[in-house]
Amino acid sequence: MIQLFHVSKYYDRRPALSDVTLEIEKGEFVLLMGPSGAGKSTLLKLLIGAERPEEGQILIQGRSLAKLRASEIPVLRRKVGVVLQDFRLLPKKTVFDNVSLPLLVQGASTPDIRRKVTEALRSVGLDHKKDLFPPGLSTGEQQRVCIARAIVNGPIMLLADEPTGNLDPDLTREIIELFKAINARGTTIIVATHDPNVLAQVNRRVITLEHGKVVAREQVCS
Amino acid sequence: MLVRRLLYLLREAVANVLTNRTTTVVAVATTAFTFACVGVFLLLYVNLKAMAASLEQDIQVMVYVQDDLPESARGEIEVQLRADRAVRSLSYVSKERALADFQAQFPSESRLLQGLGQNPLPASFVVTLAADSRSAEAMRRWATRTQLIPGVGQVQYNQEWVEALAGIVRYIEVAAIIVGVILSAASVTIIANTIRLALYSRREEIEILGLIGASATFIRVPYVLEGAALGLCGSALSLVILKAGFELFRHEIHSATRFLGVDALLTFFSLDMCAVLVFVGLFLGCAGSVLSLLRVGEGRA
Repeated sequence: MIQLFHVSKYYDRRPALSDVTLEIEKGEFVLLMGPSGAGKSTLLKLLIGAERPEEGQILIQGRSLAKLRASEIPVLRRKVGVVLQDFRLLPKKTVFDNVSLPLLVQGASTPDIRRKVTEALRSVGLDHKKDLFPPGLSTGEQQRVCIARAIVNGPIMLLADEPTGNLDPDLTREIIELFKAINARGTTIIVATHDPNVLAQVNRRVITLEHGKVVAREQVCS
Repeated sequence: MLVRRLLYLLREAVANVLTNRTTTVVAVATTAFTFACVGVFLLLYVNLKAMAASLEQDIQVMVYVQDDLPESARGEIEVQLRADRAVRSLSYVSKERALADFQAQFPSESRLLQGLGQNPLPASFVVTLAADSRSAEAMRRWATRTQLIPGVGQVQYNQEWVEALAGIVRYIEVAAIIVGVILSAASVTIIANTIRLALYSRREEIEILGLIGASATFIRVPYVLEGAALGLCGSALSLVILKAGFELFRHEIHSATRFLGVDALLTFFSLDMCAVLVFVGLFLGCAGSVLSLLRVGEGRA
């Protein structure tokens, strides 16, 4: 489903990713491990077309990202859910409105939006807080809203960049369980993290990056 | 679903305006002021042009016939003038009638004429030209042509006055265009900066929209709407300012006895013209927004 062939990305001539080749199958749960600056976030940015590699090729569902026109990038992003460490919720919109945004930009109908948002919020256990505003929620709840927004349109894959960076161990466990449940429904999940708590809980495939290079690939069976 | 998206985009545009209230008010006020400056020139141009047209309408050309011309030759001149497509109407003023008119208009000077013993005033045709022949250039051409008719002594009209007015109108027209272009560019820049501030204050939201797959159009529309609203409000407000200023000016002119009757000649923009000006404001507002939005990459976060 996701294939990277000899991908390199440079910032100011310094390599953020260097000759990365990897393949991720449909329905996999992959952890991208590595210290800060290892290139994890860069890799995720490449996968959503926010950055373009200087070298190599990226294929998603057999389609080369290099060949995507600028106007096709939003279409790609509608198939990808993104969860970020800082949640990136709109503080002046309710939880419901935040979660409904991906559907709105796709032009979903009002009944569809209502149904899918309710489902997504229920799956993260926040359907009773749909009318609240993000600043009124705890950090764990905000991250769950972010996850609901990422899965509301049934993406083929979910990319999470340090999703537990702001959470305590209990909340981290909660979020990882949510990811597992989403993965169990067939969504490919890639979590970039340097948090060993996540590694301990996931027990799935781990790709370790250091200085922009893949230094280890482990298949951990749960 | 289109309605929901449109409502969302409209709501976002309103939210943009409300978020940057002070900037919006300043932008509308500055835009209104710049449009009003252009409007002053336009008003001057419209009124002078109307005045020139009105004066042109009043201008009559005097075609003097030579003295002692036989009646048949006079009749021939009249036939030729009536056949001329440039002539709208004409009337004949005999020597006797000319003298009577002179005595009526200048009674104190009439004794001078009596001293001459004979009537020195020539007979003439008073010609009103057709509308398309009233420009200074057309009148000059017509006068030259008419002068060549046998029996015509002299053709006179207030050429200098007509040409001077046409010149002034031309200068005002050029000034209005130059000032209009400069101030329109200023308005576009003001609106572009306002939109740039709005984009800056909502950059995080724009980034989020980009991440979740919003198209460039979806992201840009609220800002284009905001620019359009700024331009529209600015131009509408400028019309209000201009109208108030115009009425004040007309009142002052009306009070000053020196300009008796001039106030009645002054006109404000027609409704059509007002609509055009508001539309121009709206268009310039959109242009300002687009200028700022060009910096937002094609859907890239």
